[in-house]
Amino acid sequence: MSRSAIAEVAAGPSPAAALAGRALEVIAPFLIALAVGGLVLAVTGRDAIGTYGLLVEQSLGGAQAIANTLVAATPILFTGLATGVAFRTGVFNVGVEGSLYVGAFAAAWVGFSFTTLPGPLLVFLAVVSGGLAGVAWAAVPGALRAWWRVDEVVTTLMANYIAILFTSYLVNYWFLAPGVANSMSPLVAAQAQLSPLVGSTQLTLAFPIALVATFLYWVLFRATTVGYRLQIVGMSPRFATASGIHVARTIIVAMVISGLLGGLAGAFQILAVNHRFIANFSPGYGFTGIAVALLGRNSAPGILAAALFFGALANGGSMIQLFSDIPLDLINVVQGTVMIIAVIELRRLGRLVRARSHA
Amino acid sequence: MPRVRMRGITKHYGSIVANDRIDLDVARGSIHAIVGENGAGKTTLMRILYGLVVPDAGVIELDGRPVRIASPATAIRLGIGMVHQRFELIESLTALENLVLGRTPTRYALMFDREAALAAAREHAGRLGVAIDWDSPVAALGVGARQRLEIMRLLYTKADILIFDEPTSVLTPQEADELFVVLRRLSAEGRTILFISHKLREVFAVADRVTVLRRARVVWTGPTTATTPATLAALIVGERFEARASSRIAPIGEPILEVEGLTVADDHGTVRLRDANLTLHRAEIVGVAGLEGNGQRELVEALIGLRRPVRGSIRLAGRPVEGLDVRSRRRLGLAYISEDRDTEGACLPATLADNVVAVRHAEPPFARRGWRRTGAVNTLTRTVLERFGVEGGGPPTPARALSGGNLQRLVVGRELHEPPLVLVAAHPTRGVDVRGTDFIRRRLETTRDGGTAILLVSEELSELIELADRLVVLFDGRIVGTLSAREATPERLGALMTGLVA
Repeated sequence: MSRSAIAEVAAGPSPAAALAGRALEVIAPFLIALAVGGLVLAVTGRDAIGTYGLLVEQSLGGAQAIANTLVAATPILFTGLATGVAFRTGVFNVGVEGSLYVGAFAAAWVGFSFTTLPGPLLVFLAVVSGGLAGVAWAAVPGALRAWWRVDEVVTTLMANYIAILFTSYLVNYWFLAPGVANSMSPLVAAQAQLSPLVGSTQLTLAFPIALVATFLYWVLFRATTVGYRLQIVGMSPRFATASGIHVARTIIVAMVISGLLGGLAGAFQILAVNHRFIANFSPGYGFTGIAVALLGRNSAPGILAAALFFGALANGGSMIQLFSDIPLDLINVVQGTVMIIAVIELRRLGRLVRARSHA
Repeated sequence: MPRVRMRGITKHYGSIVANDRIDLDVARGSIHAIVGENGAGKTTLMRILYGLVVPDAGVIELDGRPVRIASPATAIRLGIGMVHQRFELIESLTALENLVLGRTPTRYALMFDREAALAAAREHAGRLGVAIDWDSPVAALGVGARQRLEIMRLLYTKADILIFDEPTSVLTPQEADELFVVLRRLSAEGRTILFISHKLREVFAVADRVTVLRRARVVWTGPTTATTPATLAALIVGERFEARASSRIAPIGEPILEVEGLTVADDHGTVRLRDANLTLHRAEIVGVAGLEGNGQRELVEALIGLRRPVRGSIRLAGRPVEGLDVRSRRRLGLAYISEDRDTEGACLPATLADNVVAVRHAEPPFARRGWRRTGAVNTLTRTVLERFGVEGGGPPTPARALSGGNLQRLVVGRELHEPPLVLVAAHPTRGVDVRGTDFIRRRLETTRDGGTAILLVSEELSELIELADRLVVLFDGRIVGTLSAREATPERLGALMTGLVA
């Protein structure tokens, strides 16, 4: 929140002014990032306006383009929510990538192992297994943090590598698809592969389900006692303790929800897009989720907007290569700039909060 | 010519005066104690000398030369060093590495010259007559060793004016005696020592001169040989109290909170409260007097369930509660006003509604089956705001928008709008404006008259005398005296609080 916005809230401003202030805060990082990206494009001798036009066209121009953007947004919407729920509780879980990997593997394993089950049941079991695997993965650092005060940034970050390498081992040594050279598991049963909602795209039920998860996230923090505790613990653990809220228990709840969403991200990516587990399949969905949560200020609408933005960038960026000589790296520059600006804003907010609590 | 001369030092924080035209002369090679109650202005004065605080008015001279000390860096360059209450050491580095931190001797401009550092370290340790394991990480050192290391760090930076902020508050009596030996050696070397203390025994054990601050002003200064502990104690505590016109309505009732043999340690495992026995009756206010850091915080935290006692029992309405968590104790009728309003009493980023409902957020009518009832929460909040005169916002206002006084009214309202069986109130009027202070005190009285037992911890003796039916005095973790409000004269309280009589 900007300095003026805080002052306005304190003074009880008109709702319209507050809303405008908030809207500006949300949009500003995107605009600055696009400006910096444009500068990079211009310096490297490209037509910035034209490139952005092409980007918009490729990510939003027509049903096919929009569907692809939503497909790209789905996993990072899940991982953004997974990160957001932990961040709001004051737990810096950077291990969503790990939950995503174990969730993806569990879902794939169910999908290619129980091939005789009917479709809906098999999908259900695969999704539940994926979610639970994610929960189990996140619960360990959660418990370490809650009861023994082990720094979760270190444990969750390291657990990511374990998850990536362990699933890679599993697929290479135990579940390698016959006749495949790369590190891939067999395909999940045909009836477990989610079917497209639109034409020949990969847009499946996964995206609406991610929207439902976003809505539930909003409800959690808006209307439930669990969400209240998560938030209060995130704002002030000492206040929470003195008010009779169990901080350790609340931290574990946050990690369980975070792991669940991370596991679901992986499970749906397998069932909707990849249809099999492939070693190292994620281009950092879990880490992009951190940027999504930061940029979205951990709020449900913010995370949705940020996920769609990054989805559009990823989709438009990969398409743009096909139609122009602009390298994907430049799109990554824009994406990286947004992430940096998201973090800067957060720092500023943190400083402001500290300054105020000292006053 | 004094080594340090301060003239007319004045510092305001908002409407509060922390230092009011303070004069101080400290001779070279002397040990000068600064004593006074909490909030008397001792720490502010020392922070000004060390450049941490810039005074509004006044001059500082070193050896007769006026200086401007705008930052600790300037102070260090002028030869002034400070040992803070919380040591500023890096736990993962060794004692030797900490000693030379920032001024590391090097070889070939790059490599750490361990031999040179060790030689310097041994020289300082030898001069002070102390032993320290230089290769041990600081994390493995005891508190006394850490403090000696801090002192040697100052010597290493060539400081010859050394400021100690309550140096013995973290030490055992033996460690304190060792410190005094070190202080005398430093003074024999011609170094000038200023130290803040709460304990008169120490002042008379080690200081040459003493300055008493009260309410931001110097009330007495002179050699320790020219005064007595009893005189100093009375000077520290200050004004005479009005005999209290009894305002109580209800008679004192049956015992409701019984504490036996309560022993509590701080975060470092040092025992801060020893074998406390205490009984609170219904409709009674028991005041806890004592200078800060004599076990009050540990007592309060153990009662409310924030700190697990080493041993001892706590019974609330006849039920043992020492094994219960905060929530269970609150459900049994315990309420708590924290001394730390901004981090424990209130949640600044949260709304007033979320602050007010915190302790009952999951109970009907404020929630049902896990769903929050915003209507009921807002109704409760508005009731509390109105009944306790909280101004500056409504249920959706963030708590940080309120002034300190209004925020404290909110905290008091949350804890008292439904009268608890027992209230533990730690410094309930600290930092609150005059009107708010009076309001809160009247509320405590009416709550008491309604049958609540109140344990009131305060550093304002006038508040304790005004409100309490009975006073207990804590010194060095022990209850050293119990007196009725009538018996509590400044002399008696001062003597008990500074450990002159046990």
